[in-house]
Order: sequence, then C-alpha cells, then structure tokens
Amino acid sequence: MKFLQAFTWSLLPLAALAAKKSPKVETFEKFHQKALSSSPLKLGDREYDELTGPLRNYSVAVLFTAMEPQFGCQPCREFKPEWELLSTSWMKGDKSGESRMLFGTLDFADGKANFQKLQVASVPFILLLQPTVGPGAKPNGQPLKYEFGVNPSEADAVHGWVSRHIPPGPRPPIVRPVNYARIVAVSTIVLGLLSVLRVAWHLIVPVIQNRNLWAAISLISILMFTSGHMFNHIRRVPYVVGDGKGGVSYFAGGFSNQFGLETQIVAAMYGVLSFATISLALKVPRIADPQKQQISVWVWSAIMLGMYSFLLSTFRVKNGGYPFWLPPF
Amino acid sequence: MANSAVDPFLQGTTGRNTRGLLRLIILWFESIIHEFDPWFNFRATKYLVQHGFYSFWDWFDDRTWHPLGRVTGGTLYPGLMVTSGAIYNVLRLLSMPVDIRNICVLLAPAFSGLTALATYLLTSELSPSPSAGLLAAAFMGIAPGYISRSVAGSYDNEAIAIFLLVFTFYLWIKALKLGSAFWGALTALFYFYMVSAWGGYVFITNLIPLHAFVLIAMGRYSPRLYVSYTTCEHMSSLGVFGLLQLVGFVEFIRQQVPSKQFQTLLQSLIVAIFLVSVGILVLLTVAGVIAPWSGRFYSLWDTGYAKIHIPIIASVSEHQPTAWPAFFFDLNFLIWLFPAGVYLCFRTLKDEHVFVVIYSILASYFAGVMVRLMLTLTPVVCVAAALALSYILDTYLVMDSPSAEAYVNDRTKANSTTSGAATSVSVQQRKASSSTASESLRSTQDPLIGIYSSKSKLSIAVVISTYLLLFVLHCTWVTSNAYSSPSVVLASRLPDGSQHIIDDYREAYQWLRQNTPNDAKIMSWWDYGYQIGGMADRATLVDNNTWNNTHIATVGKAMSSREEVSYPILRQHDVDYVLVVFGGVLGYSGDDINKFLWMVRIAEGVWPDEVKERNFFTDRGEYRVDDEATPTMKNSLMYKMSYYNYNALFPPGQARDRVRNSRLPAEGPRLNTLEEAFTSENWIIRIYKVKDLDNVGRDHASAVAFEKGSRKKETTSKRRAARVLRVE
Repeated sequence: MKFLQAFTWSLLPLAALAAKKSPKVETFEKFHQKALSSSPLKLGDREYDELTGPLRNYSVAVLFTAMEPQFGCQPCREFKPEWELLSTSWMKGDKSGESRMLFGTLDFADGKANFQKLQVASVPFILLLQPTVGPGAKPNGQPLKYEFGVNPSEADAVHGWVSRHIPPGPRPPIVRPVNYARIVAVSTIVLGLLSVLRVAWHLIVPVIQNRNLWAAISLISILMFTSGHMFNHIRRVPYVVGDGKGGVSYFAGGFSNQFGLETQIVAAMYGVLSFATISLALKVPRIADPQKQQISVWVWSAIMLGMYSFLLSTFRVKNGGYPFWLPPF
Repeated sequence: MANSAVDPFLQGTTGRNTRGLLRLIILWFESIIHEFDPWFNFRATKYLVQHGFYSFWDWFDDRTWHPLGRVTGGTLYPGLMVTSGAIYNVLRLLSMPVDIRNICVLLAPAFSGLTALATYLLTSELSPSPSAGLLAAAFMGIAPGYISRSVAGSYDNEAIAIFLLVFTFYLWIKALKLGSAFWGALTALFYFYMVSAWGGYVFITNLIPLHAFVLIAMGRYSPRLYVSYTTCEHMSSLGVFGLLQLVGFVEFIRQQVPSKQFQTLLQSLIVAIFLVSVGILVLLTVAGVIAPWSGRFYSLWDTGYAKIHIPIIASVSEHQPTAWPAFFFDLNFLIWLFPAGVYLCFRTLKDEHVFVVIYSILASYFAGVMVRLMLTLTPVVCVAAALALSYILDTYLVMDSPSAEAYVNDRTKANSTTSGAATSVSVQQRKASSSTASESLRSTQDPLIGIYSSKSKLSIAVVISTYLLLFVLHCTWVTSNAYSSPSVVLASRLPDGSQHIIDDYREAYQWLRQNTPNDAKIMSWWDYGYQIGGMADRATLVDNNTWNNTHIATVGKAMSSREEVSYPILRQHDVDYVLVVFGGVLGYSGDDINKFLWMVRIAEGVWPDEVKERNFFTDRGEYRVDDEATPTMKNSLMYKMSYYNYNALFPPGQARDRVRNSRLPAEGPRLNTLEEAFTSENWIIRIYKVKDLDNVGRDHASAVAFEKGSRKKETTSKRRAARVLRVE
C-alpha cells in the first residue's frame, strides 16, 4: 500500500509532463463541448473508457442505469428526469467549464463490457470520479459511489453530494423549469370549477348545508384517524402480508405494528359499534311499535356485544398479556 | 340545572378524592420523580424556590450544554415551576413547611383532580343531562391516556397543561354562550397561563380561532361571538380577528340599511379581503419574510418532513405515529363511543357542539400523527363518550314507560277511519318535521316515544354496566402495568413470582455524585442529560432540551466514530466521563445500541462525509452486533464501550447479547483512550473515564499495547501516531 502510494507520487511529475504533451488535456474540452449541447452525455464502452482514463484533470459523475424495458428498473426511470435536470442546469450554469465537471450516463445496453468489469450487481447508482491531476486532485482516490434506496433520489441531494466531493469551484444551482402546461391546466380546472359552482350554486347550497353530510364526513374522518390510518400513511406499511403458507395474515404481530387491511377492519369494527350505539340512543326510542322496539333493542345489543368481544379478541392478538375478554369470542 | 348543581359537584369531588387516593397508592415504594423531563423541571423548581423569581428569570445554566451553557430562564415554559413555587410559598405562609420535592411529586395527581372537575364543567355546558358531566369526569379520572401523564412523580408540563386546556375550553364555551366580556377575559387569562406552561399551546391558539371562523362560515355570527372573541385574544387568530371585525362592521351596517344589493356587495367584499390576506400570508411565508411554523409543528402537516430534515425530532419515541392498538390501549371502549358522541353533537348542533366536532376531528388527526398528542385527544374522547353514554342511560333508565295501548289504539283508529283526527295530526307532525329535515339528522326525524318494555331497559342496563366495569378493570390493569413504574427504577418478576427491583440508574448516578469532582463533565446521549443533571448533579454536554442540533450531532459523531476520531472530540469538549446504557445482560431493550442508529443519523445530518449510516449495516442491510457486524460498527466508540469486558461474564466464546439475541465475537473490543470506571449491578449503566494524555507522549494505542506486554510494532505505531495528531 505504502509502496504503491510512493510509486504514484513519483509518477506525478511525469504525469504532469505527460499531460502537457498528450492529447488527454483535450478530453475535457471535447466532452464539455458535447455536454453543452446535450447533457448528460450518453456514453458507450469506448467513451466511458476515454472519459475515465487514469489521468483526469476534471471530475466526472456517471450514472449506471438500465433503461431497457426488459429489466423493469423502476428506480432508473424515476431518477432519469432528475439526473437530466441536474446535469443540464449544471452545464447551463457553468458554460465555460470552470468547475471542470461532467455528467454521463452509461446504460447497460451500451456498456456491457464496463458493467462486467465493475461487476455491477444492481442499478442505478452514480460513480463520482475525482480528478487525478491538476488543482484539488486526489491521485489515488477511489471512485465514490452514490447508492439509491439508502440515499434520497432527488436532484438536490445528488447535487449536494457532488458539490461536497469535487474540488472548489462554482456550483451552479438546480433550476427547475417552470411547468407552463401544468399552470394552464390548473387554472383551467379552477376556472371550470368556479363556473360550475356559479351555475349550480342553488343545487350545491342544500348539499353543503346538509347536516347529515357533515356528520358523515366527520365520523368517517374520526374513524380513519383513530384506527391508525396516519401510521399507515407515514410508515408506508404493506396492505396485507402472506403468512408463508399461501394464505394471508390479516393482523401484524406486535403492539406497534399494523397492516393496511388491519386498520380498515378495525375502523369497520369501531364503525359498527358506534352505529349500534347511535341506533340504541336515537333510533330505538323512536320506534312506535312495542314489539319491533323490543326486537331491535336485542338485535343491536347483541351486535354490540359480539363486535366488542371480537375487538377484544383482536386486541389480545396484538397484546399477548391482555387478560380481559367477553363472550362469545 | 341550578338546584341539582350542588349534588353532582359533591359527587364529582368525592370521585376526585377517590381517584387521588388511587394515585397515591402508586407511591407504594418511595416518592420519586419519573422519566427524563421531570428531572429538569424539578431542578428548575428548586432553583426558583431557592433564588426567587427574578434570578430564575435571568438564570443562565452553565451546568448543561457544556461548553455553550443554556439561557434557561428564557427558553423554558415557566408555568409549571411558578405554580409549584406558588403552592410552596402559600403552604409556608400557612406554616405548613412541606418539602418542595413532595409538592413536585404530588402536583400531577392534584391537577388531575382539577382536570376531572374542569371536564365535568365543560360537559355540563354541552349537555342538559347532569349525568353526562359526571361520566365525563369519571372517564377523565381513570382513562389511561391521561393517567400516563398524571401519576405521582410525573412532574411535567403536561401535568398542569391538560387541566388548563380543558378549563380554557370551558371558559371559552361559557363566554360564547353568555356573550360576556367577563368570561372572555377569564379565557384570555387562562389562555396566557396555558401559553406559559406548555409548548402544545399552539393547539388552542388555532382551535379557538378555527371555531370562530367555522361559526362565521356557517352564518352563525352573533354579537355574543363578537364580544367573547374580541375580549379573549399567533398567526391565524390575527386573521380571524380581522375578519370578525369586518363581519361585525358589516352586520352593523346591515341593521341600518336593509338593502339587498348593498348586502351582497359587502359580503363579496369580505370574501375578497379574506382571500387577499390569506394570499399575502402565503406569499410572505414562501418568500421567507416570516416563519410562522416551527419545525415540530410543521412535521404535523407534512408527515414526511421530519424524517428527512430533522432527525432529532423523528428520533423521539413520543413523536412516532400511533398504531391502532395504542388508541385502544389508552381509551378502551371510549374509542368507539367517541364517534357516537360526536354524532349526537350534530343533533342539536349549537355553537358549543360545533366546537366539540372541530376539536374531535383535529385532535384525532394529531393523535394519529404523534403518540404524544394522544393527550390532547383524551379530554374530547371522554366528553363525547360521556355524551353518548349518558344519552343512552337517560333514555333507558327511566322507570315510567309510554303506554303501549296508546299506540295500539292509534293504529286501530287509523285502520278503521281513514281520515281520523289522530292520523291527520300525526301526518301534520310528519310534514312539519320533514320540512326541517335538512336542519336535523335523519335518525331524529320521527318523534321521540321512549322505551316500552322493562326487559329492554334491564338488558341495556346490564350490558352498559358490564362495559363500564370492564373499562375500570382495563384502566387499572393498564395503569399498573404500563404507566406507573418509573423508568428510573425497573421492576421485574423473578421465576418464583416475587418482585425484583432493578435500581441501576440511581446506583450509577449516586456513584457519579460521590466519586467524581463537582465540575466533572459527563458525556452521554441526550436522553439521560436531565437525569444526570438532576440526580448526579454533574455538568452534561447535551440534554433533553434539544435546542442545539449541531451539539447533539457532535456527541453522536463521537459515539459513532473510531476512537482516533472521537478522542480529540472528547478532549476538545473537556469530557471527563462517558456514560452509556447497555441492556445486553438483562435484555433491557431501551439501551444505547438500539438508539445508536439515531445517533448515527443525526451525526450524518451534520457531517455526511464522515459518518455514514450505510456503513453500520451489513451488505444484506442488517443491523448486527455479532461476528458479522461491519468494521465501522465494531470500531465505533459506542460498540466498544457497550461490549468492553463483556466476554468476561461468560465462558469463552459464549457471550450473548440478550436484547439483540446474538452471540458476540469471541474476542471482545479493546479500548485505548478510555478506561472503565464504573459498571452498575446489572450492567445497565457503564461509565468510562477519558484518559489523560500519556505522560511519555506516546499515543494511547501503543501505551496500552506496552502495558499488555506485547512487543511494540514499529510500523503500526507510526501510522497510528500520524492519525492521532489530527486535530480539527
């Protein structure tokens, strides 16, 4: 290791000399010209080798990707526009090439040899190669890898990562283009809605003043929130999970764990119980027929008992030591 | 209502006493302050009592956040300390010298009694039935969701804040009903008290204006609303205040000039002004001129925000979203009575019922986003559930029944004479009720009759009392199992069923107090900062008041880096001792290795190139501590401190970690720059002393190697030496 380091150091002056003479110096200018017209550079095996040769007085970031449909690489497709945005805004902000930074994309289809050489197992990722000669060079620096999944896949995050690792110089900011089509579409929809409101106002007023509607909205949202919907939303829990025997397990094990379907079942249980309560409180005393009333009292309290008992048994599944139960479950 | 007012009050008070007694029994062992934050509050209260209010106000605390210090007087919510200080002084005035610690320990149960009272008052405003208030107070007294914060020793801001919250709401409703400036002023007073006591006050600052706004939007503007709102006075409240003034002005004009066109013009004017002001607010916020939302508050709206931008907020277990079992655990059957109660509010839908509906929806949203805000949901759940249950009880527990014969007669009459008088009357009634159908709920359109048979009455009474009994059992079980054991003292059961007390924390803090110099600086993860400050009385680097993210990240970096990197950090911050919590022996899962990833994340947020979360996971993305742990993990200071000498407890190669259930590497980690100073009985707390620089000028690695008797290796020591010299 130490020997190698010494070896590289001894090579440095030579390299500087060589850089002066060899056509390598123009590599950056050549690719930068190309990049100005279309960035990121679409690389093939040959271009990649040329760009990432051992003597570089510039930095280069290469996105390894596989866009062909047979790979079905969803993250690749998701990141592509962000990558294009980053590289174009960088190139536009630094036309003179002062930051000595290039962006390239190596698709599996064009760079099979390099994919094999690097033993790539999964895409996408970004390799950042720091300069080996010139100001701020890291002569024996290993290429840096930016992996997705653990890192965010937004252009801004990649921008920050690149900015931290390349030698000092300008860092052109990301310029997100104004989406005119969207503005037009949104304003059309808003105007359309406004005119519909204006025309159908006399029809809408009774609806938005309807107490039943507001009661329903309130109850549904309360049931949703109290059955842990926000947890699903924040933690992105799976809807259901197989139990390994070909079936489906509806309830997640553990007190602070849940599935999407599970919360819906719980919300439905709460809903049934509340509805039974409301019926007993409001509807039953308004039944004029004594016999009918008697029957509905029994029916509703039976539903309530059964449901509550089921709820308790569900809770015992979640919390092992819970000692209480009700018949029949 | 007036003549029955005394009776339920008495019952309420006796109920309150009983509940107070119940909570006192929890003090079975010793009066001790629980958890983390209460320790700081206790320390601050002691300071207040000793030095008086003015020096408390100017208190600069140099014993925390070393070397920065903390302007404590200006950054805390003084309501709690001032309250207990006032109680202390009043009791002394009455020549009852009570230890300030006992006041602090018993403040929470005392205030929970007051909360029950406030809940009773609030519910009584909402329902004509006196039983609703009593039920609500009883629910509030035993609901685990509130007990969790009101057991003796839980000396925290929430202890008094929930009382203030409920009472402020009661006063607001009262002011709104009476339209009285006096009640409005009282609301403002308690509102101010609330702001001084708890950071959660943003909840009411936004709830009351929202209520006023919804009332205006429903066309329910009234002089009462004007008076009460303008008397009692953040961001949105200002907007609604302006709107209210406008509406008031317009209403005044309208009374003078009853012109239809003028009215329309003015109404559209109001809408336009409102929209423009909202637009300006949004513009200003976007432009960054004003920043009305703090990070913690913002994370409530955009739920993904905290995880990306502020890991320090996301790392707190109280800030996690709530899974459904937690709701059921804390509220039991109230949780399904709650929607029914809200539905009943829609029945009459007076101004105060609108308030309950808004409160319910908002609070259930907030409680779903953050476990901690379950506390704000509990009062409204108790109120609404009591409304529903008392309505059922009032309907079914009436002795006299309507006569069934009237119905039979009615029907036979209707059958015999098609144009009978009775039928026409009832038809007229139907018509009258259907004309107001949009104004009332569908389920209440038919006239109320009552319950005929005593069988149905009896069955409902039995069922409801069963549920109530079950609720009481549930609450007792939850309280004794989950909420009453102080986290400083752990209780466990031995195989023979007897109780075993694990008192490692206090043992270790006592050790610190007795064996370290008074000005020693202790580094630990921020969770234990308040406890070290309160129980060991030593200076800490970071504590539970997480005001400086960079400083916390520094500690995180020191914990998660190699010794060669950590040692300069420790030296720069004058750290004398490092404290870690390790649960591997007992299987205590709340230890530092389990919190370690958050330290890494927080450190990564500040030094993304030096600390990388990825390096703590194996290639397959697992977080491991055994042989397959990553080198970064094995070399981190935290790992070394946790498992140092741990092998000695076991036969060779048999060391096991009972929390993570894994077998540890045969050879334990080696520590060069720290030395073990203290390990508590069950190894929960381990304290290490930071070594001073070597006398002979060697680096620590070679010094340790020399003492072990191994031969000095020329090459390695040279390279290490070069690294140690690096000082940032």
